[in-house]
Amino acid sequence: MAHTHGETIIEVKNLIKNFKTGDVITRVLKGISFTVRRGEWIAIIGRSGAGKSTLMYQMSLLDDPTDGEIFILGREAHSLSEKDKMALRLVEFGFVFQDYALMPELTATENIVLPLIMEKVPLALAEAKAIDALKKVGLEDRLRSLPAQLSGGEQQRVSIARAIAERPQILFADEPTANLDRESSNKVMEIFRDLHEEGRQTIIMVTHEEEYTKVADRVITIDDGKIVAVREHSAAMS
Amino acid sequence: MFSFLNLRVGWYLARRQIHRASRWTTVLIVFVMMLTFLNLVVVTGILVGIVEGITDLFRAQRTGDVVIRNLDAKNYIENSPQVLSFLKTLPQVANMSPRYQSSGTIEANYKTQTDQTAKPNETGATIIGVDPTVENSFSHLSGLIKEGTYLSPTGYDEVLLGQQFIDRYSFGEMPGLTALRNVYPGTTIRLTVNGHVREVVVKGIIGTTANSPLAASVYMSGAELAQLMGRTDYNLNEIAIRLKPGIDPKAFTALLKNSGISDVAKVQTFEEAIPNGVAEVKNTFEMLGNAFSSVGLVASSITIFIVIFINAITRRKFIGILKGIGISGEAIEIAYMFQSFIYAVVGSLIGLVLLYGFLVPYISAHPIVLPISNAIIDAPLQGTLVRVVILVVATVIAGYIPARMIVNKNTLDSILGRE
Repeated sequence: MAHTHGETIIEVKNLIKNFKTGDVITRVLKGISFTVRRGEWIAIIGRSGAGKSTLMYQMSLLDDPTDGEIFILGREAHSLSEKDKMALRLVEFGFVFQDYALMPELTATENIVLPLIMEKVPLALAEAKAIDALKKVGLEDRLRSLPAQLSGGEQQRVSIARAIAERPQILFADEPTANLDRESSNKVMEIFRDLHEEGRQTIIMVTHEEEYTKVADRVITIDDGKIVAVREHSAAMS
Repeated sequence: MFSFLNLRVGWYLARRQIHRASRWTTVLIVFVMMLTFLNLVVVTGILVGIVEGITDLFRAQRTGDVVIRNLDAKNYIENSPQVLSFLKTLPQVANMSPRYQSSGTIEANYKTQTDQTAKPNETGATIIGVDPTVENSFSHLSGLIKEGTYLSPTGYDEVLLGQQFIDRYSFGEMPGLTALRNVYPGTTIRLTVNGHVREVVVKGIIGTTANSPLAASVYMSGAELAQLMGRTDYNLNEIAIRLKPGIDPKAFTALLKNSGISDVAKVQTFEEAIPNGVAEVKNTFEMLGNAFSSVGLVASSITIFIVIFINAITRRKFIGILKGIGISGEAIEIAYMFQSFIYAVVGSLIGLVLLYGFLVPYISAHPIVLPISNAIIDAPLQGTLVRVVILVVATVIAGYIPARMIVNKNTLDSILGRE
């Protein structure tokens, strides 16, 4: 299926991230630059410790870079206050973490409702949206289940439902299949594909599994803090 | 911080966290809160109640609700018959006991003492002259007789002795008082009042606590004491008044003062009439009780701090994720404050029910018998509610501090479990 990608929604310019431990400075990202266009699915791959997750944390405003610039939806990240960043993460971003990151005391529905309430969505509407999102990921029969009552794959699908419930502009996924078996991983990737193909969802996915990058529009390979390869899947490009 | 949105999200989270937390943990925390509440109220309440017990004893056994006594400059209440007649016309009065009172001495074993150089077995005493029937209906004195029997209505030359005078029942040495040896009901002792000496028979021994006004008193017929005192004009030393239920002693005292009685006598409420120092002891006990309770409050605050800290630190990753997906730190802090609030309020409510539903009525009916007095729990509702507010505020702060410590940590460090 041919995709048409829109304007640039993320621009990363010469991004540098160092970590300091005592007197030792570790350079994790060493000048990374690339752009992401609306509706694009970017897969970031690399070996463990290459810096792919660190890159995603900078792009998703969970961490501050040491140097360089990130423009998100036309705004320079460095100029944003913590409150602005929080608002962006709440409204414009969706997150899927490796270990699902669901609140253990909240049911599947409630885990999705909570951020919606923070977005000032009325409770009844938030619950309707949560149920709708859970239906999308095939969990309409687990609405009232607590995370502990769900399998790993089901928990990750709840996590995806939480991320997409309010239709964010960008979906960040950090190793979404890392803790899942083959069947559950395939199911999660199917959901991502549906979101991308039907909903034109922009996805930035970090993974170390080459197999799951085939469906992405572009695959960025990182090694030792630098982009070492960019592979565009022409069939997916217009 | 306390925006409607943060409160809404905080409440949504807190409700579910409490609802789905370990039942035993919740029960334990609420139990700690209830004990803290009881510690706050009951410790002070009993300490003050000990003094209240003394006051109640004076009120029940001696002063009544209002007492009229001779002026300091006079030996008696002038125009006592007229005063009594006036009091009898007042509808507020339920009961009265007119009394004569004099200092005197009592001596025992004078017949068997052979060594004339030895110190006589005698002691100073407050002698109270009463109408036995009237006094008994006023203070139920006959119910307190430990040994022997109560005064007969027309009996002469018979006395009741407070147990402080009897060596086997004495509470220990008291200034100016010597316990009498070998005194039993039926024993003859020598009574000296106003220089007049009379042999009287011990009719009974009054059983009391050490602080009872009866402990060091001698009761006898009022007519006989008046005779010993040389009082022929029927002028009394004391009129104790019991008011009908619902009558305010202060208001009644004001009424008597306005009637002119204060020109011939001191008119006092039972609180004003209790001996000097009792009010100071009450204030001291109250301060001590508050000090002990404060220690309990700090201990329970630390408990809540630890509980919330452990809860928050074990959920640090989830707190990081909540912040990561855009939930405000304030809303998360409020969730923990709500939890602490609910623990404190539920604990206090259970404590309130236990206090006013069981402890206060039970201990009022069955006072704790202490050597100093029969203690009750003095827990006025207003003071108790102030303590509830203090407990709730302290608990909410104790819940807020650890939550803030964890929420303030770097979001990404929390998500990744980095220090």
